[in-house]
Amino acid sequence: MKKSISLTLKVWRQAGSTEKGSFETYAVKDISTDMSFLEMLDVLNEDLTREGKPPIAFDHDCREGICGMCGAVVNGRPHGPEKGTTLCQLHMRHFSDNDELVIEPWRSRAFPVVKDLVVDRSPLERIIIAGGYISVNTGSAPEANSLPVPQEAAEKAMDAAACIGCGACVAACPNGSAMLFTSAKISHLALLPQGRPEAARRAIGMVQEMDRLGFGNCSNITECQVECPKEVSISNIARLNREFMKAWLAADEK
Amino acid sequence: MAWVLKFFVSSVGRKLLMAGTGLCFVLFLTTHLAGNLLLYRGGDVFNAYAARLHSLGPLLTIFELGLLALALVHVVFGLWLFYENDRARPVKYAVKKSGGGQTWGSATMPYTGVLMLAFVIYHLIRFHFVDKTNIPIYEIVKAAFQNSFEVALYVAAMGVVALHVSHGFWSAFQTLGAHHTKYTPIIKAAGLIFSMVVGIGFGFIPIYMRLL
Amino acid sequence: MELEAKIPKGPLPEKWDRHRFELKLVNPANKRKFDIIVVGTGLAGGSASAALAELGYNVKTFCIQDSPRRAHSIAAQGGINAAKNYTNEGDSIWRLFYDTVKGGDFRAREANVYRLAQISNAIIDHCTAQGVPFAREYGGLLANRSFGGAQVARTFYARGQTGQQLLLGAYSAMMRQVAAGRVRMFPRREMLDLVVVDGRARGIVVRSLLTGEMETHLGHAVVLATGGYGNVYFLSTNAMSSNVTAAFRCYKRGAFFANPCFTQIHPTCIPVHGTYQSKLTLMSESLRNDGRVWVPLQAGDRRRPGDIPESERDYYLERRYPSFGNLVPRDVASRAAKAMCDAGKGVGETGLAVYLDFKDAIARDGRAVIEKKYGNLFQMYEKITGEDPYETPMMIYPAVHYTMGGLWVDYNLMSTVDGLFVLGEANFSDHGANRLGASALMQGLADGYFIIPYTIGGYLATASLESLSETHPAVQEAKAASVQRIHALLSVNGRRTVDDFHRELGRIMWDYCGMSRNNSGLEKARERIRILRGEFWENVKVPEGNETLNQSLERAGRVADFLEFAELMIIDALARQESCGGHFNEAYQTPDNEALRDDAQFCHVAAWEYQGDDREPAFHKEPLVFENVALAQRSYK
Repeated sequence: MKKSISLTLKVWRQAGSTEKGSFETYAVKDISTDMSFLEMLDVLNEDLTREGKPPIAFDHDCREGICGMCGAVVNGRPHGPEKGTTLCQLHMRHFSDNDELVIEPWRSRAFPVVKDLVVDRSPLERIIIAGGYISVNTGSAPEANSLPVPQEAAEKAMDAAACIGCGACVAACPNGSAMLFTSAKISHLALLPQGRPEAARRAIGMVQEMDRLGFGNCSNITECQVECPKEVSISNIARLNREFMKAWLAADEK
Repeated sequence: MAWVLKFFVSSVGRKLLMAGTGLCFVLFLTTHLAGNLLLYRGGDVFNAYAARLHSLGPLLTIFELGLLALALVHVVFGLWLFYENDRARPVKYAVKKSGGGQTWGSATMPYTGVLMLAFVIYHLIRFHFVDKTNIPIYEIVKAAFQNSFEVALYVAAMGVVALHVSHGFWSAFQTLGAHHTKYTPIIKAAGLIFSMVVGIGFGFIPIYMRLL
Repeated sequence: MELEAKIPKGPLPEKWDRHRFELKLVNPANKRKFDIIVVGTGLAGGSASAALAELGYNVKTFCIQDSPRRAHSIAAQGGINAAKNYTNEGDSIWRLFYDTVKGGDFRAREANVYRLAQISNAIIDHCTAQGVPFAREYGGLLANRSFGGAQVARTFYARGQTGQQLLLGAYSAMMRQVAAGRVRMFPRREMLDLVVVDGRARGIVVRSLLTGEMETHLGHAVVLATGGYGNVYFLSTNAMSSNVTAAFRCYKRGAFFANPCFTQIHPTCIPVHGTYQSKLTLMSESLRNDGRVWVPLQAGDRRRPGDIPESERDYYLERRYPSFGNLVPRDVASRAAKAMCDAGKGVGETGLAVYLDFKDAIARDGRAVIEKKYGNLFQMYEKITGEDPYETPMMIYPAVHYTMGGLWVDYNLMSTVDGLFVLGEANFSDHGANRLGASALMQGLADGYFIIPYTIGGYLATASLESLSETHPAVQEAKAASVQRIHALLSVNGRRTVDDFHRELGRIMWDYCGMSRNNSGLEKARERIRILRGEFWENVKVPEGNETLNQSLERAGRVADFLEFAELMIIDALARQESCGGHFNEAYQTPDNEALRDDAQFCHVAAWEYQGDDREPAFHKEPLVFENVALAQRSYK
């Protein structure tokens, strides 16, 4: 395998949320294939800085695929072409010499562009605020083992809880829907006995908030689960639908 | 009662309506196909079937009005969802590539839906609101499909229906919350088989009639 | 100044109970009259925000990321300790306490560590009730695993994502309080200064990272939970935005900095592979439960690992530490790896790596079992290195991971500035000179959920705090100083990038103040840091301006502080003429190269007081008194 490659990057540049953006083309040379995608952007940014040009703004933090801060659409694929991978964990060995990469921010009405590749994902937080928690005050919890949880339920809850809130599902969905994100939290808590007391309230609250924020609607296209870096399954969306129906039809919630 | 309204205007509620009405159409397609297959047994059998159906009288009218209501809901809510989904991404991607999740069926749902609507209107004008007092329905159908263009149109339309159903069938189950590692593959397979049966079952009739 | 740790009287197990009783309470109706500022939303800051808001305080919480859910606690993989003794192995609060004190090489406060062990069980209860999906046995009860440095299985875990799940638990609790209107969240803000009025912490200066606007926020107390300073080494397992600035600004405002030279080098990280590298990735220590660490017996053996026969491999941890084997504490394992590489036995392209081999575990338990335990870690390794650890042994090397040093706090977690409380990794902590695996999560949550809610009440109930307005000279002065500093960074307009300076600083620190240190190296490093700092302020290039999202400017401010802070670390390392835990001075070692403490002279916390930019910091000593455990040479043989 070639140890270093050269690439042409077409990067979305936008100075601010109210400015107009456009693509800029950059040539990057001698990119080691052991680099991560973000390290490749670092190298470009160092060059741009030295040339006195504004570097490309992109969100990132842990760079080990867990904080959910990074993300961009690379050649039409959120977080790039590798399955189950965040942008920071995408390595350049997956690209070939002379590839042209088009790099765009998440596109969603709910996620306005802040600058270049940085978008405002705070609507995802609004969804959590609308009920993505178990109401337990510090100090009031019973002994942890007083309530057994079937291992299978705990594992499924963990599968859903693995969501890192990066927003790739919204970016990937042709409809711009946030159902995978919302369903992951609703599922995580609905699967555990601790989460049942508030399940109805949570399902209704979170879905209503999601609707309010300008996301699209799920039509089961399943691009989200394919692009999700944590491979959260759409079985959670089905569970959300069940929880939502149950809440409306069986619970007293209005 | 406000909660009923709130339920059905929520994103999930509207999708449930799409799923519910969609599944009703699956049932309708099944009976419609079963009836139409009688065309293969010749004019007498088919005309008798038609006469029997019309002898139901008001029951049939109720049934037809029900179908109309279902169609209205499916179309109106479908368009509403389509409009919202389009608005959810005001700036489109310069490059959009599927990660492998979408199918031809799922990617084209709104478009196949609109095409089907146009087709259904044409179909109703062609065979439903037609004067059947003097000519039995079998003859009308037979006459219609002597035209090769008409045959092609119907075959193409059935392809569109098949495509729509190929996604709609399992998608309805998913929306209704039926997702399970054991059953979902079966539902998906059933959906594909059903869409093929519908496509081939309906689609072959005009060809057969043309060849008669 | 006398350092008063305010450790309660009485027998160790009763101290915390007694102290809670003695702390004054704030009347429930009065709590809403107090505004508390929390900086940082990791396990400590998130849990503190939630717990304080639940009590009724008005909480304003600040974080540097776009969402509080992204704080770097999220990256902790392995687990969280608690003295539940679910495994019936004889664990107890006392044993967890003892292990932690011993693991910390007897440089932590007994009373704090005992309290931590006492609280550990309540944390598990609370997190379980919050819906943290801990691993469970088939019967539905909680599962445990053993972790580096412990001989009992007391670690609770959620696959390899325990930190993430605990953080999301704290985050969700905090979001519940946002919904209730008791927490106001301020994301994308960086704290640049502390507002001190009449000797009390009363507010903070933050810069909005989106607009560059300098904001002041005032309150009755400030809770700092801004994590550790591992990024002084440039390459570390910390997140890119982890920094020392908030803590260092507090130091400059009068909070003492304790034991800054105590840094933890984690033994199981993915080795460095290039100069462009931006960070290092940790592989959970839990891997050492089943993986066997080895190097070739012969120095310079360049054969592929599979070609090296069993008889020519040196399983050096098992050989040197027969009773703990691969599970020796982190500092011991890291130094041993370094020793092997220094002896030319290192593997991989750079020779700076050792093998972590799962061949025997896979043969014993089958691939499926190993996959279930470590699947996501193996996957991560393969993603980064392009090698399949099921087939070829992993390569690992130590990397900076955690900093035990931090702002000095008393038993109430209050710093030397009244009203400034410091939690989690940001304080000088309960881990002494070395932290045991799965103890950081425990400490962060103990501080936030179960200590600060009581101790802050004790402070607020007795302090008489006058109302304060934005126009107060102290507030204006702090704000103006921060504005001035941003201006200064932007106006240098030199030729070297911020990262370039940071990388050079990191190399100096890693080479001379890393896994092993010596006096002449430290002196040399100090001189080089001074020169580098001088160059920074003459030659740094920060593009763009203040009034936009300017990530270079953010980094520039942090690196400027690291350049000053690094010197403090070196001063501390030079002052501590012994070896203990993460601080290994080559002049002080046993004949078999273990750390040699000097309890007669250095059984204390070293706390440093800022005296001015041109003056040496003043040294203060908090003697450590061990009444319940006997100081002993740590032995893991």
